[in-house]
Amino acid sequence: MAEVTITGLKKNYGAYQAVKGIDLAIPDGEFTVLVGPSGCGKSTLLRTIAGLEDITEGTIEIGGETVNDMRPRDRDVAMVFQDYALYPHMSVRRNIGFGLKARKFPKADIARRVERAAAMLGIGPLLDRLPRHLSGGQRQRVAIGRAIVRDPQIFLFDEPLSNLDAQLRDDMRGEIKRLHLEIGTTMIYVTHDQIEAMTLADRIVLMRDGRIEQQGSPLDLFERPATRFVAGFLGSPKMNFLDGEVVRGPEGGIRLADGTVLRLAPARLDALRQGPVVLGIRPEHMSRAAGEAVRPGFVRLDTTVDLLQPTGARTYATVGCAGQSLVAELQAHDVGEVGAHIVLDIDLRRASLFDATSGKAL
Amino acid sequence: MTVPSARPPRPVRRGRRRFGAGKLGRGLLIGLFILFVLVPLYWVFVTSIKPSEDYLAVPPVWFPAAPTLGHYTAALFAYRGLDGLINSLVVSTGATILSALFGTAMAYSLARFGTGGQHLSFWVLSQRFLPPVAIVLPVFLLYRNLHLNDTRFGLVLIYTVFTLPVTVWMLFAYFRQMPPSLEEAALVDGCSRWQAFWSIAVPLAAPGIAAAMVFAFIACWTEFFFALILTGRNAFTLPTVFRAFLGFQGAQYGEASALAVVSLLPSTVLGMLAQKHLVRGLTLGAVRG
Amino acid sequence: MHPSIARVRQKPRPLAVWVDRHFKWLLVTPAVLLILALTVYPLAFSLWVAFINYDFTVPGHAFVGLENFRRVLADPVATGSALTTAWLTVVNVGLEFLLGLMLALAMARTFRGRGIVMTVLIVPLFISPVIVGQFWALLLQRPFGPTDYLLGKLVGHDVTISWLTQAPWNFIAIVVADVWQWTPFMFVLLLAGLTSIPPHVYEAAELDGASAWTAFWQLTLPALAPMILIAVTFRLLDAVKLFDVIFMLTGGGPGTSTYTASYYLYQIGFQQFHISQATAGSWLFLLAITVLIMLLVRKLLRPEAAR
Repeated sequence: MAEVTITGLKKNYGAYQAVKGIDLAIPDGEFTVLVGPSGCGKSTLLRTIAGLEDITEGTIEIGGETVNDMRPRDRDVAMVFQDYALYPHMSVRRNIGFGLKARKFPKADIARRVERAAAMLGIGPLLDRLPRHLSGGQRQRVAIGRAIVRDPQIFLFDEPLSNLDAQLRDDMRGEIKRLHLEIGTTMIYVTHDQIEAMTLADRIVLMRDGRIEQQGSPLDLFERPATRFVAGFLGSPKMNFLDGEVVRGPEGGIRLADGTVLRLAPARLDALRQGPVVLGIRPEHMSRAAGEAVRPGFVRLDTTVDLLQPTGARTYATVGCAGQSLVAELQAHDVGEVGAHIVLDIDLRRASLFDATSGKAL
Repeated sequence: MTVPSARPPRPVRRGRRRFGAGKLGRGLLIGLFILFVLVPLYWVFVTSIKPSEDYLAVPPVWFPAAPTLGHYTAALFAYRGLDGLINSLVVSTGATILSALFGTAMAYSLARFGTGGQHLSFWVLSQRFLPPVAIVLPVFLLYRNLHLNDTRFGLVLIYTVFTLPVTVWMLFAYFRQMPPSLEEAALVDGCSRWQAFWSIAVPLAAPGIAAAMVFAFIACWTEFFFALILTGRNAFTLPTVFRAFLGFQGAQYGEASALAVVSLLPSTVLGMLAQKHLVRGLTLGAVRG
Repeated sequence: MHPSIARVRQKPRPLAVWVDRHFKWLLVTPAVLLILALTVYPLAFSLWVAFINYDFTVPGHAFVGLENFRRVLADPVATGSALTTAWLTVVNVGLEFLLGLMLALAMARTFRGRGIVMTVLIVPLFISPVIVGQFWALLLQRPFGPTDYLLGKLVGHDVTISWLTQAPWNFIAIVVADVWQWTPFMFVLLLAGLTSIPPHVYEAAELDGASAWTAFWQLTLPALAPMILIAVTFRLLDAVKLFDVIFMLTGGGPGTSTYTASYYLYQIGFQQFHISQATAGSWLFLLAITVLIMLLVRKLLRPEAAR
């Protein structure tokens, strides 16, 4: 079994605390994505699991065994690096087989495994080339091949797609997902790209400042963010945030800066305390007004278009609301021109509320 | 220790009047200096093939009418120049190899792990500036007790020590600019730290190691002071043979020149081959020429 | 990959794990041991010798305090050699710097055959200093060297200078030999520094109306400052050890007038066998150099920390 259990992990570089106390339990076979902004500690965490960094405090268990003091080679993990880290003086074949050779596998075994890994990744014809004669995408496949061929307990990925161009990145993302379906080994994947996180993960671990902000399934984090940070991190374009204040009572709701009160369902309002809040509205929860009457739970916004960003099927329209800007995701042909008047319906049932000071979801 | 590295020495094409002197002045300066460099070399070469009668000729003979190689044979055999040459070769090669082994290992450790921090680095660096005269006497006494005086091995050891700083520092800079992800990949793949060092880092650093070895060899080949004091009739090196020509009474000019020509050829050729790395070698890796 | 492929887990041997853990220390051990054995230990030993009365023939070592040091400082040859070393060093390094700089400035542009010129210019760096001394002995020694003859032709009357035995000509000979060998050192480093200055700095200056002289003083020299520091430091610390050329050209003579510090200590220690005095002297020399090292090398390393 190759589950990973991390308890109370801390990693300091001198006075700098990169990882401030992480508890994480990854079941066998799961695809876990560590995601977060630069400096959040995700790469450091990955490297401690690999054994490339020592830990200051805490334990790491792989398959039930505590591996804190084990050398990387003894942990039976494989890693794919951001810059591919292919051995430049070796052919692709030797690159892939390097780990097996270092562990003294019989030659025939190595050859067989290398062929199989290469076939799986479609790099069979490249086996005798040198890394410098390969494209970025091909190199990345070789790096993955080198990891697969060892049949390790765990795969670690350290931002493997960051150096590829956008088109290639989309293709490789699909390949990695398919790989996981086929092999089923536990995979831990680090990225700063929230799209990669959303599309690849069984579970997302969103990190910030050396701690876990929230973990759960992608849809979990997307639809029920625990903090404002999580809500703003996932989803493109970003969730819109409006500053407001809770006003209780029969005419209660969220009062915005310009005095407008957005009505909330009584059940929801009752759970809130008086005080400043942040209202989060996703662009896709806004649409052109439909019909004369405003549907229950919706709010009508009368405003003008400030900016338009067409992306093909959809267009992102920036509009004003209570002195702040909102971005709405609309159908491409549903929008007028810049400066035109527009009426939008906002689905407040799906909106999130966050405490203005702590950022926690309410 | 890193200084913002100089870019490769492709000379910069500047506008017209930049540094004063103008084309003629520059050409003159360069030409004069080339002359300055070449004159002694030429004179030594010519003297080495002059028959002895030409020595005292006035005006001086610029090229002998009847060149001879007799001085070379005399220098190599009568004056035991060949023995000196062989000893120099053995000692220089031995010290170079040892220096490369120990120095590469240390440089890697300093570069990748920051072993010993600033203090260790500074200590090794400062060895470069230690005047030989400060340690030659105690080393002489030490070797006397260990029966290492006048042995090639004794000289190899001391030469290794005095070429270590340059080797370590050149390779330190070299390893620093190699991305560690290759060795990390090797570690995760199944290498021990030693295997990652020996099978991945060292082959990739081969050009730097070769350059360091060239400079170490040249330093050993041209060294005089330690050889003078620590060797005698058995292990004497090529530079020490020139002692025999001190206070010449004339007859030895040919031999002295012949031996000089023989001595300078290997180190000069090596130096020219390693030209690309010269700036790095001269500044202990602080600057990439 | 079929999950049925057995996972091969090799049990790590404790020795291998230990080596891995302590790898960085194991790597530096051979070099450190060698340096300790052949530098630190001899230095410590020589310090002890400097404070006692060490003689090959007389058994027993009596502690004599600072007597050896006093004897060295009182020896006029010692102080003379220290002075000679000091000003020879300054003259040598100064000339090498100036010539090297001029050469670097001249060579900073491309021209046909520049590569060959470079190769020729660096040749002196790879020749043993003893041999360099030999060159100049051959050139300057009367009656065999052509120097006096050529000079005579130049000035119009016979020149009879004993370059190796007559002051001040013998000093000039020493300087010429040293400058011949080590100007390329300065030249190479300064050229590297020059070529790293981006050209657009000069283009901006030209647009601003600066003259070539101003450009040199305000742009080139400041940009070159770090490299000048490196070059001068290295050369200075090497030049004080001047020995080989003295040995071959003048033998310290006439008398002891061209003794440098290293040559003096060589004489005392290995010709006259005054071991204790020689070690005391070498420690004084070492102290002087250490001060230099502390000043210059620390300055080299400190700016890097600030970057």
